[in-house]
Amino acid sequence: MGRDRGIEVENLVREFKKGPRAVDGIDLQVEPGEIYGFLGPNGAGKSTTVLMLTTLLPPTSGTATVAGYDIVHEGPQVRASIGAALQEAALDPFLTGREHLHLQAALHGISRKERKRRAQELLERVGLQEAAGRKVRGYSGGMKRRLDLALALVHGPQILFLDEPTTGLDPQSRSALWAEVSRLAREDEVTVFLTTQYLEEADVLADRVGIIDRGRIVAEDTPESLKAEIGRPSVEATPAERGERDAVASVLMGFGEEIPAQPGAVAVRLSGGAAGLADVVRALDKEGVRVTNLRLDEPSLDDVFLAKTGRSLEGAGEGEEGGMEEAQA
Amino acid sequence: MSSFFHVAGAVAARQTYKYFTNPAFLAPALFPLFFFVAFAGGLTRVGDVPGFDYGAGYIAFQYVWALLQAVSMGGAFTGFSIAGDFENGFASRLMLAASNRYGIILGYTMASIVRAVMTGMLVTGFALVIGIPISGGFDLFGLIALALLANIAATLFGAGVAMLLRTQQAGPVIRTPIFLVLFLAPVFVPLSLLSGWIETAARLNPFTHVLEAARGFLAGDPTGVASAFIISAILILILALWAVYGLRSAERAG
Repeated sequence: MGRDRGIEVENLVREFKKGPRAVDGIDLQVEPGEIYGFLGPNGAGKSTTVLMLTTLLPPTSGTATVAGYDIVHEGPQVRASIGAALQEAALDPFLTGREHLHLQAALHGISRKERKRRAQELLERVGLQEAAGRKVRGYSGGMKRRLDLALALVHGPQILFLDEPTTGLDPQSRSALWAEVSRLAREDEVTVFLTTQYLEEADVLADRVGIIDRGRIVAEDTPESLKAEIGRPSVEATPAERGERDAVASVLMGFGEEIPAQPGAVAVRLSGGAAGLADVVRALDKEGVRVTNLRLDEPSLDDVFLAKTGRSLEGAGEGEEGGMEEAQA
Repeated sequence: MSSFFHVAGAVAARQTYKYFTNPAFLAPALFPLFFFVAFAGGLTRVGDVPGFDYGAGYIAFQYVWALLQAVSMGGAFTGFSIAGDFENGFASRLMLAASNRYGIILGYTMASIVRAVMTGMLVTGFALVIGIPISGGFDLFGLIALALLANIAATLFGAGVAMLLRTQQAGPVIRTPIFLVLFLAPVFVPLSLLSGWIETAARLNPFTHVLEAARGFLAGDPTGVASAFIISAILILILALWAVYGLRSAERAG
């Protein structure tokens, strides 16, 4: 297994003065060309981890290599190998999009001629050709995010760090960014380390997901395996008439054990998995039972988070510890 | 090593570009110009005081101080810019993209020199307008060299403070020591006419040597040149270490 474009982390810790351990001994390994989703609520330690792996913040203890280079002792080599779009797009409001790209390319030592070519190519790729000559202060949030992604790619990095890249984006911009990230991994074989607090984002994009809570990784696997670990899918049916509830229940219980459902509805955990849904429909039809709603629920990453931490991911970070990631050394 | 210069060049280009797209880049010259007009205009008779032995006249005497003040404040303003970059997050882009982060310090310093040249030209142009005597025999290159060294020293000091504190609130911390050093020197009269605590402070102030030598260059009577350049070089070395300390502090803080 080649590790040249991968990430390896061992017992990485970051403590802040007068604060808790933002990152509390995490271990992880990201394979070359993989999209690794780092999922967790606000204040879980995602951004602190990214800051350490991108050499913007030294770890308190532990080791990590990025692209085969030690993040503490080989910072310059790490920085030359990676691109990063951090949570707050660090842009100069008085420079245009194109000027940002030229500056970023110059920082990486790319020749003047190549800078122009790369800038044009990336502006087209992220759909900012028309806005390229405008100062960034007039850009929308989505445009800033896209420019930030282009800036992260200007030197053709082997590894890309994206820290909550779609936070605050409209659905259209979010989809476009997802498509570009997928393309980068599949076509350009860029390793992507993506932090997110959106379940759907991790589910759609990531080959593997690490779930972090209070500085510790509580689960790590492919999204499918994590969900399968939690349990089988369930089906919930709402009878057309209240009096038919028992009839619906008797049909459904032939397919699995009953579980709590919405008022007036019946739900069972499908013993045969999601494939059993068609049989459920046929059985209901055969018994002449009419339903107004039939819903298949597959376990989500939120269920995984709930199972691992006892809390729901949605809003789990709110009101907790004042946000570790904002803590200062 | 090449990445050091790539980074420095990129940072300098961005900073210089910003100067020339914003007229406020000449702001460091405003205070010195004000002092220059006030002192050179209102205190001209000081040149007639017994013991005032500066041959080029009082306007030239004040011009040198105004020039050094302008270029030094240019260095301080560069510190403000650095602090601003840290406060608004842009510095993280530089820190992330720069393989060699020491190049960031050099880049800001290079841009500061460009600003110093512009503000120096402005002050000089103003001095010519209000009648600074132009006569042969002065060493313009020596004067410019000392002015640039003063600018570099002030820039490195400002850079160190800015990177240490990483907020624009650092402004007074950068500005006040530079003001003190500039004013605790023979500003209005030659050192020989000072007395009491101000004379002691001026004699201890390393900037005094730079100011005296710069005035000597303009008068065509260089004095204490070697000590002025040695002091400047030592100051720059110490302040470069200070700036590196600031950078390392910023790296540690993330």
